[in-house]
Amino acid sequence: MHYLEFATASNFSFLRGASHPEELMAQAARLGLAGIGLCDRNSVAGVVRAHLAKCEQNLPLKYHPGARLVFADGTPDIFVFPRDRAGWGRLTRLLTAGNLRGKKGECLLHLDDLLAHIFGLELIAMSGNATLLSRLRAAAPGRVRLAASMLYRGRDRARLARLKETARGCQVPLIAINDVHFHHPDRRPLADVLACIREKTTIERAGRKLSANAERHLKSPDEMARLFRDAPEAIEETLRLSDELTFSLDELRYEYPDETIDGFANAQDALTHLAYQGAARRYPSGLPPKVRATVEHELALIAQLQYAPYFLTVHDIVRFARSQKILCQGRGSAANSAVCFCLGITEVDPDRADLLFERFISPERREPPDIDVDFEHGRREEVIQYIYGKYGRERAGIAATVICYRGRSSIREVGKAFGLSEDTIGALSSSIWGGGGDGNADLARAGLDPDSRRVRQIAALAREIAGFPRHLSQHVGGFVITRSRLDEVMPIGNGAMPDRTFVEWDKDDLDALGILKIDVLGLGMLSCIRKALDLVDHHYGERLTLATIPAEDSAVYRMLQRADSLGVFQVESRAQMTMLPRLKPANFYDLVIEVAIVRPGPIQGDMVHPYLRRRRGQEQVTYPSKELEAVLSKTLGVPLFQEQAMKIAIVAAGFTPAEADKLRRAMATFKRVGTIGSFQRKMIDGMLANGYARDFAERCFHQIEGFGEYGFPESHAASFALLVYASAWLKCRYPDAFAAALLNAQPMGFYAPAQIVRDAREHGVAVRPPDVNHSQWDSTLEPGPCAAERLHDLHRAMRDDLRANHAMRLGLREIKGLSEEDAKSVVARRDVSYDSVRDVWLRTGLSPRVLERLADADAFSSLGLTRREALWAAKALGRVGDSDDDLPLFGSNAGAAAARTVSREPDVALPPMPLGEEVVNDYRFLRLSLRAHPAQFLRGDLGQRGTLRNEALRGLANNTRVKISGLVTCRQRPGSAKGVVFMTIEDESAVANVIVWPKVFERVRPVVLGARYVAVAGRVQEESGVIHVIADQLEDLTLLLGRLAEQGADIDSLARADEVRRPIEDQREAYALGGRNRLLRLMREMPELIGDLDVTAPGSAHAPTRHATSPRV
Amino acid sequence: MIVAVDEAAERLGLHAGLALAQARAMHPALEAIAEDAEADAGLLEKIADWCLRYTPLVALDAPDGLTLDIGGCAHLYGGEQQLVADLGARIAQAGFAYTIAIAGTIGAARAAAHFGAPGSYTGGEERGLLAPLPLSALRLAPGTVAALARVGLKRVGDIVDLPRSPLTARFGGELLRQLDRALGLEHEPLNPRLPVAPYVAEQRFAEPIAREEDVLAILTRLAGRLQFALERRGDGARRLELTLFRTDGEVRRIAAGCSRPLRDPAQIRALFVERLAALADAFDPGFGFDMARLSVLVAEPSPPEQIGIGGGENAAEADRQVDQLADRLSARLGSRRVRRLIAQDSHIPEIAAANMPAQAALAAADAGWPAFRQFRAEAGLAPRPLRLLQRPEPIEAVAEVPDGPPLRFRWRRALHEVIAAEGPERIEGAWWSEHGGHPSGNLARDYFRVEDKSGLRFWLFRSGLYRDLMREDLAQGAAAPTWFLHGTFA
Repeated sequence: MHYLEFATASNFSFLRGASHPEELMAQAARLGLAGIGLCDRNSVAGVVRAHLAKCEQNLPLKYHPGARLVFADGTPDIFVFPRDRAGWGRLTRLLTAGNLRGKKGECLLHLDDLLAHIFGLELIAMSGNATLLSRLRAAAPGRVRLAASMLYRGRDRARLARLKETARGCQVPLIAINDVHFHHPDRRPLADVLACIREKTTIERAGRKLSANAERHLKSPDEMARLFRDAPEAIEETLRLSDELTFSLDELRYEYPDETIDGFANAQDALTHLAYQGAARRYPSGLPPKVRATVEHELALIAQLQYAPYFLTVHDIVRFARSQKILCQGRGSAANSAVCFCLGITEVDPDRADLLFERFISPERREPPDIDVDFEHGRREEVIQYIYGKYGRERAGIAATVICYRGRSSIREVGKAFGLSEDTIGALSSSIWGGGGDGNADLARAGLDPDSRRVRQIAALAREIAGFPRHLSQHVGGFVITRSRLDEVMPIGNGAMPDRTFVEWDKDDLDALGILKIDVLGLGMLSCIRKALDLVDHHYGERLTLATIPAEDSAVYRMLQRADSLGVFQVESRAQMTMLPRLKPANFYDLVIEVAIVRPGPIQGDMVHPYLRRRRGQEQVTYPSKELEAVLSKTLGVPLFQEQAMKIAIVAAGFTPAEADKLRRAMATFKRVGTIGSFQRKMIDGMLANGYARDFAERCFHQIEGFGEYGFPESHAASFALLVYASAWLKCRYPDAFAAALLNAQPMGFYAPAQIVRDAREHGVAVRPPDVNHSQWDSTLEPGPCAAERLHDLHRAMRDDLRANHAMRLGLREIKGLSEEDAKSVVARRDVSYDSVRDVWLRTGLSPRVLERLADADAFSSLGLTRREALWAAKALGRVGDSDDDLPLFGSNAGAAAARTVSREPDVALPPMPLGEEVVNDYRFLRLSLRAHPAQFLRGDLGQRGTLRNEALRGLANNTRVKISGLVTCRQRPGSAKGVVFMTIEDESAVANVIVWPKVFERVRPVVLGARYVAVAGRVQEESGVIHVIADQLEDLTLLLGRLAEQGADIDSLARADEVRRPIEDQREAYALGGRNRLLRLMREMPELIGDLDVTAPGSAHAPTRHATSPRV
Repeated sequence: MIVAVDEAAERLGLHAGLALAQARAMHPALEAIAEDAEADAGLLEKIADWCLRYTPLVALDAPDGLTLDIGGCAHLYGGEQQLVADLGARIAQAGFAYTIAIAGTIGAARAAAHFGAPGSYTGGEERGLLAPLPLSALRLAPGTVAALARVGLKRVGDIVDLPRSPLTARFGGELLRQLDRALGLEHEPLNPRLPVAPYVAEQRFAEPIAREEDVLAILTRLAGRLQFALERRGDGARRLELTLFRTDGEVRRIAAGCSRPLRDPAQIRALFVERLAALADAFDPGFGFDMARLSVLVAEPSPPEQIGIGGGENAAEADRQVDQLADRLSARLGSRRVRRLIAQDSHIPEIAAANMPAQAALAAADAGWPAFRQFRAEAGLAPRPLRLLQRPEPIEAVAEVPDGPPLRFRWRRALHEVIAAEGPERIEGAWWSEHGGHPSGNLARDYFRVEDKSGLRFWLFRSGLYRDLMREDLAQGAAAPTWFLHGTFA
């Protein structure tokens, strides 16, 4: 018997379908169905995934993507399937029409829309309404069918007989469907929970909103034939319909825009010309032979695969950005090709850095090249508008991001469906740094019994729903550009923002279909570098670009080796600062390694220490074989990059490049349970066959596995390393310009302005407060003292390296709550210096409220006014009644009237503000203080408590017991550090690093999470000049700050990287949401499930699942 | 966000204004109760009503204060001190912490009570009382207080002698208005929560009363007193309220309206007899009432003609009549004996209708049956029997595997040959419930409507599916499907 299921909803029918598209495909194959038609509600968002599942696993299925049309005008549902490519285009246009009519996520379709786009579509009507059927038949003769289902509703046979009558009467064939909503009956609980979420009710109350039974699952052909024994023709009709449908998603491949350039016969000619033109510019003294060979090779490949239009597209976008002086930098496998260097897409010179380009497009892989381009974050919008302008909204769109249920959201939603109280759910889903891997502890903390049946159900369902798509959102910068009309390739929908539309497919889907996509991403560091370069040009007369910053400046490496890297791209994190003095980068390639090595992958794969040992000469550099020496010599025999892993598979295990690429993708996402197992066998067997020891082969594989899901390609690392070098060079030579640029590019990076300013001052830069008479919106440079003369002891080594001789004037942007527009009007009307608060008010016309902001920030000190005096003056402005926003009357006599008012007012003597309170107010309104550090005022108390100044740590022997204190600036608990908490604290003398082990953390948890000011007792640990204090005891001294001023205890000194303020757990979960790892995680969290996992859990693991796409590292 | 903490939480360093997630991160075992501002307000109002025993002029000072005008009342308690003692003792007994301050102005009394200076202050002492208190003691917007603090003005004493015009120019008129009111330089009227009734009669009891008869007797006596007052002005009562003060602080307020102004105590009594009857269990005297007050809330001069209570012949009226019938029958037969079947939202037949006392069911009755009928019609489902057996009865049946109807079955020893069958309607158990929803367990059921040779029609089901039986993971312990009869069709 043969049968195809045409009515299949995946979980892209949000909150209705209870199976992933991949699960449906796998189950269909397992049941022996002849094929499947996937049709989600007014959407084709899941069709590519099913397509991929079929292709990758070679499933013997016919596959017909389609959609279930659900109408807004009361028309019963209709399934539609495109016959051919043209039909597909009409389907996507039809859905687009409905999408654009509704709000985000809504598709409002009318029957007329279908009738207007009906050509080339095959229809299955869900209702036996004769009028509707005849209308459809008139519009689509021979292409209308009537659906019949046997879903155990009591009167199925009678209903089937009636439908047969209707079908005969209306002269349309009857077709069997099972209206499938999940792949296996065991998904009924999940389907019920989804219904509860959808209907905003609980499982107890949902009643008839749930399905009475689990019959809407995929059924075998035999079972379908048995159910339809009264109408075998309805089963046969499924095969007939399938024969009519010739469309395959593969037909959408390579929809590259035509990039014709005048004067060239075709894109390839144009590309070749541009590449050699660029090469001549890049290498004025002649193209090195090695580079020439590479360029030739790459151009030949590009020609063979017809990728030229893609490169031209990227080139054009980059060219536009350059013309607008927008700094940009390409990234990705293809980006670091010689061609891209010549085209100016990237600045990584293939001659300067000897990189592996294995991942550069290969003929075996029919996958488009991968180039992401980072732009200055503030100016990315200009690039986006350019793309829209050039290709039009008809051909360019933004890719979707599939927002999935994740750990927190899934437990939340499932908990709600089970009627748990808001409070319990909150406790379950919001615990910051909870359990430390023991999920039961989290459950118990939320007041639930982890052993109760219900709690186990909740936990199991929450795990099952994790990875389910919940809605589509707009990708941050993924652009899709097509040759033909975009809406004839895929549906377009409205975004949350007005005038923002995005397509239904995400980047993986587009990738899989080979549709051109280019990531236009915003990168804060590019803004910072551009601003710093501008300042250097303006104040020092040195005109530099990314490419012309002096290369391999040893002063830069000396600075980085001291871990003096605050603000430097990528290597400013606490972990990187610890690594820098150990790795001691001394050239560009060391930076590439530095960027790649402090990643969860190498850390978990335990590659960091072997590498460090070898680098220091403590361990001999050995290679398992001659072939592998070639692959691993650059990294001293330790695989650190994704490319190396692939190369090992190819060289040692005999993988073809295409297989190695599959391995890469499996590693990158671990999307499919089981896949990695087969790779493991293949790799180990392959290595054994090539004469490697089993032990070594297994270690190799585990290493690959270890950093698999966090795999960091060398090509990305190289692009990043270039920015590391550029920012470090600026910091080293011009700390004044660099600090100002960092402040002006905020928010970005790990640190808050307070830390940036502190670092600048320690580097000898004089920092001046924001002032109405001196500041711009941005921080600026003013003539000032020579930084080298004023260096903090810590940095005296760089005395001769500094060129900075300007002071930094903080910009008005540092004032909390002041808008750019208001600040700019203060600057714009400052032709002559302001002489009073009233003067500022009269000239700018700003509301008194804004002037109060300025007064609170102490920005009138150049007028000789204290903070309180300025505020008193600002408070008096224009207040006739109680209204806060009276504006001054502009006019000839305004000044005179103002003078009169002033003279009439009696003097009021305000109490002077104590210095401590000034500092507290600085923090309140500027988030930093140039006057003093709060710790200074507490010294007496701190001394009594036996705490040292942080600077005293330097010079203490290892294991010395100390007590230090400071304002908390950062708390992190990296996933790769097994629950260890890293705290950073600062006092007036220095920054100190504190390590809190999990045992201690559990004891002092409230202090770690709640205190603003702490005292830490512990032991000193010093390695390679990096000093840590290993905490035994923490004490919350926040209340001491209250002595400075009433609001003293609210001083906010937290860095941007602080994880308590900005939890990143969700993000981490996203990384962890890969199949195998997900299982591991699950076993760690729910040890009681380990037993279950040995046997295949019914219905859940029947088919491998595709999960949330891991964001790029 | 944490809005309030108890003492234990305070000791842990938690405080209002902290984000709950943060607090939980610090103390995972934290117990948090959702803020219910409405309930808090309701409680304050209840306390305010209870304070009516001291004076009719009680104003709310949300969120946690009350202002009582005790001018002319204190002597009833033997002076201010005695009144404070009585009030304090009773509030403490009810389990509340409190501070009480008496002063010549609302502002001063409030400031003293809120900012730690309880006691009794006579007129003229306000200035000394207020000077050391923070400015927030004056009823000022938090923004004003913060703005004053930013220029260094933090206590009442800091502003009391400052020139007035600069202050007003900067902080608005409200600042000095509140200051003046607190100092008694400007009069401030009290804004009581409840309107003061035009006619009030009240009585306190040395021994609390609890019986309904006693309450009615007191009511009649109070009505008699009011009658005198009403007659004197030619008024009648259109709306009355009986306020009963329980010894434990609960206050019961029973309002009654009439279509015609009343003065006659007997008629007023009759009015409240009905109301009390309607309240039935709500009349809960606890340990008794120690004070009763009868107020006329609305009085009208000339008595108009009585208007008959008519009603349309509509469905709502019919429903109401059914309800009234149920009321009367329940009154006569006992409320547990008169019952109704109420539709429940469930697929599972024995749960789909609940047998409930008719009176209790009134509220639940609403849309149950129409929704049930509509659902089954839309899904094209077959009718179910009107009544089901108490519990499904096992039968022996011969049927087609896997999901065919029974060919014949034996029920209560009689054999039935099936000549017509319709089905199955498959209904699965409630997987989320401990017992699967079905009293017989969590097995799926296939329901059939069948007719036997003699024309009898039955509703029966197969319990358990062959599908499940064939699965390895469920096979263990699974028995072959069994049959049950669940009801008959008339």
